[in-house]
Amino acid sequence: MSASTDDLHVFPRTVERPIAPVWHRHARDAVQQGLIAALTIVLGLILPAALFALWWTAAERHWIAEQILPPPAFVWDSIKYVLETGELLDHIKFSASRVAWSLLIGGSAGLILGFGMALSRSFKAYVFPTFDVLAQLPVLGWIPLLIIFVGIEEPLKITAVSIAVVVPVALSTLHGIANIPQSLLEVGRVYQFDAFQVIHRIVLPAAAPSLFTGLRQGVMQAWLSVIFVELLSSSEGLGFLMAYSRSLGQIDMVIVAMLAIGVVGILIELTLRLIESRLQGWRRSAF
Amino acid sequence: MKRRSFNATLLAGLGAPALIGLSGQARAAGKPTAIRIGFPGAGTGGRPLPTSGYPANAVFRSEIEQEFASEGIKVEWKYFVGAGPALNESFANGLLDFAFGHGDLPLLVGRSTGLKHKVLMSAGRGSDVYFVSPANSPAKTIADLKGKTLSVQKGTATQLQLYRVLAKYGFNDPEKEFRIISQIRDDQVASLSTGDIAGALLSPFGLEARGVAKRVAEIFDDPDISAPSTVWVGEAFEQQYPDIVQRVVTRLVKVAHWSTQEANRETQYQLWTRSGVNTYIDNKKSWDRVKDLRTRLNPLLDDYYVAAIKKSIDEAKKYRLIRREVSLDGWIERKYLNKALADLKLENYWPTQDASGKFTRT
Repeated sequence: MSASTDDLHVFPRTVERPIAPVWHRHARDAVQQGLIAALTIVLGLILPAALFALWWTAAERHWIAEQILPPPAFVWDSIKYVLETGELLDHIKFSASRVAWSLLIGGSAGLILGFGMALSRSFKAYVFPTFDVLAQLPVLGWIPLLIIFVGIEEPLKITAVSIAVVVPVALSTLHGIANIPQSLLEVGRVYQFDAFQVIHRIVLPAAAPSLFTGLRQGVMQAWLSVIFVELLSSSEGLGFLMAYSRSLGQIDMVIVAMLAIGVVGILIELTLRLIESRLQGWRRSAF
Repeated sequence: MKRRSFNATLLAGLGAPALIGLSGQARAAGKPTAIRIGFPGAGTGGRPLPTSGYPANAVFRSEIEQEFASEGIKVEWKYFVGAGPALNESFANGLLDFAFGHGDLPLLVGRSTGLKHKVLMSAGRGSDVYFVSPANSPAKTIADLKGKTLSVQKGTATQLQLYRVLAKYGFNDPEKEFRIISQIRDDQVASLSTGDIAGALLSPFGLEARGVAKRVAEIFDDPDISAPSTVWVGEAFEQQYPDIVQRVVTRLVKVAHWSTQEANRETQYQLWTRSGVNTYIDNKKSWDRVKDLRTRLNPLLDDYYVAAIKKSIDEAKKYRLIRREVSLDGWIERKYLNKALADLKLENYWPTQDASGKFTRT
């Protein structure tokens, strides 16, 4: 005889607590979540606030020469100035368009490589060892060779940043597909899926999270390397703004450029997260 | 044992900055332990040598070392691949006492950001400006290069000079009418030979001999295009060791005098190849045009010097290279130069120019 949930000896009825009205519970949950969110924000702000206070004090008391660390108020003036003249937006646009082109080129190449290596064993056997070795090279390591082959103009920047994108995208794609559970593929065989159906119905949905991780890493890599590449023989872009301002002793502008790089980076990250959660909504409801 | 050596390293690491601070105090005793002199530039490949001019001769002939050798004061020469802007940063970090020939733009940028120095003498004036393009370029004039990529080390005096040259040929918004990128000289030469840039301001003769570049425009002795460069001393050093400053200035005036002797012309053509920046043929061809060396190798702070600096301030503001005011009040300190000229009986030796650059005494 097995125990049943109806058996009062096995599962004695507990005293029922009076259940609070639904709206009441919701309000309480909302307040609780609000508090947690507020706390997270406050905790997150402590370090920046402390850093800012340190900066402010250091500038105020002239711990560091003004030529090396300008006071916050001066940096704030500079921010307003570059926003009014539209200079900052122009530089951001240049950097962003370089990132976009590189994502298009590097991202497609990465996807093709990743899919190729994941889906075809012989392709992987030929390509992966070479890819693995080249992937170890940082973008910086490519620059001297690239200058010789593609010159110092736009192709240099796009190629270098594209290389930075290819690696994470290809690797994540490869791993994402390689890690698809065998059972899913077996189900596909049971249903006698053809190749297209396998990719469309099994591979793409199952590998989507990894694809996105790769893409996100690619975008961040692109954003970071574009700043570096723009330090070389540019006349526009955020990296150029930094290098140029430094050579004119305008450290305030260097800080403005740094802030802009940070803000744009966060915006990119948030946008990607939003797109990802939209596209993968099915995963949340599936579990 | 290992731990101890780690601690010793740590102590040394922490102690070193403290010692640097101490050395500053030790100098208060009346004599500095070292004089740190910066040149805005370096030779090819970063070679630690100056290129040309009478302050460079002071290095090649070990003049400053000889001046202070008996007292055991060391002379430290610093060369900056990052040129004038890097020299500013070094001075802002308290690592320099003198600059031997700062170009107008970085000098003014430094002054505008509040760097405290005193102008002692001019490091030289007047020059010929050559605009070069790749040897196989079809361009005949600067106008043919409109919209193309030009290269200059931004933040240096040459940036302002390039703007002046372009303005002379009718381009008043250089950054819009050309694409102007920033490269150090070595990279400019490399990019000229690969055709990656369409033009730069470089001494052309050595490059032409190698088939790398050709002249597209040349401007001789235009006082509006070239601006004097400056020898300065840090204010703190000047207040602490006025005697040392006087001896440096007097020695430099002596070197300047030596440099203007016709008998020493050929020697200088050779000395000025050492940094690798200019070849012998560069020095000979461009300086053979200079009939009287005193017109170039001139330490005076005359009307022309002051007017040229004022003009540079206006231009730097116009091109928005400086955003703050630059005042000349209390900046130009003539007493050391005047004393040196009097002591050496050279008061009337060098030609003077009026504000427009015309010679008033030859």
